[in-house]
Amino acid sequence: MYASRGEPRRRTPILKYPSLSNTQSCLMYQYDAYDQKIVEERARQFRGQVSRRLSGETTENEFKPLRLQNGLYMQLHAYMLRIAVPYGLMNSRQLRKLGHIARTYDRGYGHLTTRQNVQFNWPTLESIPKILDELAEVQMHAVQTSGNCIRNTTSDPFAGVAPDELEDPRPYCEIIRQWSTFHPEFAYLPRKFKIAVTGTPSHDRAAIRYHDIGVRIVKNAAGEHGFEIWAGGGLGRTPVIGKPIRAFIEYEHLLSYLEAILRVYNLHGRRDNKYKARIKILVNEMTPAKFTAAVEAEWLHLKDSALELTRAEIERIAKDFAPPAYETLEPVDLVGAELGKDRDYARWLKQNVQPHKVPGYKAVVLTFKEKENPPGDVSDTQFDAVADLADAFSFGHAVVTHTQNLVLRDVKVSDLPALYRRLVELDMATANYSLLTDIICCPGLDYCALANARAIPVALELNKRFDDMDYLHDIGPCSVKISGCINACGHHHIANIGILGINKQGEEAYQLTLGGHDSDSASIGRILGPAFDEAGVVDAVATVIEVYLAARSSEDETFLECYRRLGEKPFKEAVYAGD
Amino acid sequence: MATRGGTHFVISASLTDSGAPTYLALDGGWTPDLQCAAAVATEAERDALLERALREERTVCDPYFFDVRVEGGTIDPLSARERIRAAGPTTRIRRPD
Repeated sequence: MYASRGEPRRRTPILKYPSLSNTQSCLMYQYDAYDQKIVEERARQFRGQVSRRLSGETTENEFKPLRLQNGLYMQLHAYMLRIAVPYGLMNSRQLRKLGHIARTYDRGYGHLTTRQNVQFNWPTLESIPKILDELAEVQMHAVQTSGNCIRNTTSDPFAGVAPDELEDPRPYCEIIRQWSTFHPEFAYLPRKFKIAVTGTPSHDRAAIRYHDIGVRIVKNAAGEHGFEIWAGGGLGRTPVIGKPIRAFIEYEHLLSYLEAILRVYNLHGRRDNKYKARIKILVNEMTPAKFTAAVEAEWLHLKDSALELTRAEIERIAKDFAPPAYETLEPVDLVGAELGKDRDYARWLKQNVQPHKVPGYKAVVLTFKEKENPPGDVSDTQFDAVADLADAFSFGHAVVTHTQNLVLRDVKVSDLPALYRRLVELDMATANYSLLTDIICCPGLDYCALANARAIPVALELNKRFDDMDYLHDIGPCSVKISGCINACGHHHIANIGILGINKQGEEAYQLTLGGHDSDSASIGRILGPAFDEAGVVDAVATVIEVYLAARSSEDETFLECYRRLGEKPFKEAVYAGD
Repeated sequence: MATRGGTHFVISASLTDSGAPTYLALDGGWTPDLQCAAAVATEAERDALLERALREERTVCDPYFFDVRVEGGTIDPLSARERIRAAGPTTRIRRPD
């Protein structure tokens, strides 16, 4: 972390805790003595703050901003602690620590979030300082996972291994993390602020168009790499697709340009109405052109400041993300195996095994969308098991996806059968990545103090309804996302099929939206019609799928393509036929 | 008088040490059981109880009131939120302590 304001500081390569094993070195950013001291002191500070709250020296009103700065929320039944996982990347020590925390301080499970973080739903207040101490032991913390500050920077879960990637975005994510952590000017923004970075110009897997700032690594006419900058995207009660505000910015100006955007937002963003305080409202009210002009004018004051990124500084960070010791292997075509006799294995290969830029390797998605458990929930034993699998098959690392799954990034093709057998034993081999039952789902009214309706039971019912794998795979790619309220933590606006929980005279009801999309041809889903009860919305989704299967022009036409071709009319007529 | 079909009011808050839902009881203490809560019928009684709860901020956080219907000695919250808050999550918890 930087001392402040992006100014590089003297490096002291001393680690209090033992270095990671050989298989885990050089694959992710490693804390130095400064980082370690910061997280340890933060935990110590919070121990005192918790003690004073429990003794009654401080009131809840005084304590609340302090706990929020440490990722501690008050939910419906208990406190909730959100732990930062920068761009979703974790090593096996960290995974085991999360399993230990789930077992020791919580109720045996944690939850993968849509900002690639992990949260625990049942910690007591007294246990939080102990948890923060334990997290610090493995270079983790809960700083800036709440409050009106710059939140965890997210990225492509396949960053660093995707074949279609121009450049690994993680070093830039890390640079942004260090710049934004404890940035004194941006500790009290009008509202929370989210940044996403992708290194793949042709396929956005980080939903950059729906972030306050989206950063895309691109190449200019001279063949140089730099960044395309998007601003003003977001979900919530006013979903907005971000606007491209700068086609190309040189790498050395990344931080100064981001700082200029933040300054304009901090100065002009509304603070009188929290529902109009996000940057998307400011960009819209100013107009994108005037907002961009204001950013450019501010940037002129910043561009040659200490915020300038040198190639040496980027390389210093990037060396921590150096590729692991890949073997030299022949490229392997999985098509034959995908057509093999073991249909379950073939389906898993086709759906959950993803391309890798190194011949002979693949990335493997572990979907945490079991029939009986809430989407994204991971038990203590599963955290341990994933850590073991990461050590055995993927250089000791795994990545949390914004779709509430985990990815083993670097699996040798020759290891896939053994990995699959182990995943079957662990009940973690469901071949549904990016299919209808790979549902994003917020905690909803089962946990969240803000929710209007439950989301998890709807997801579980959909899982049961679509549990026929032949049918599921026949449907093909189709995203379903469920939010328990208009704050849209479940990203329902950008689902092919979105479900929004609402409050109808104190009772839960659900609106259906169709046609949303979170990637390059971004679109916001449209509400289909009047709301349903819980059973009704599951029936409605089933009807929508039946219409799609009957109307698609071929097996290759996806649900989204079909919806865009036909419009909402046939879906609406079928869903509301009995009304 | 409570609104929207309610007959009474109940005062609730979250316990400071655990965050667990708690309800102000007739004896002035706090109970985790909604059925043991003090259910009062008038706004004056409600406001008096809320004022008392607000003075106990070491023990509890963010006291508030909500509408209930009391029939046959049973307290029924009018909203899904309060029913779930009283009963716990409706989905599987890995280890229900």
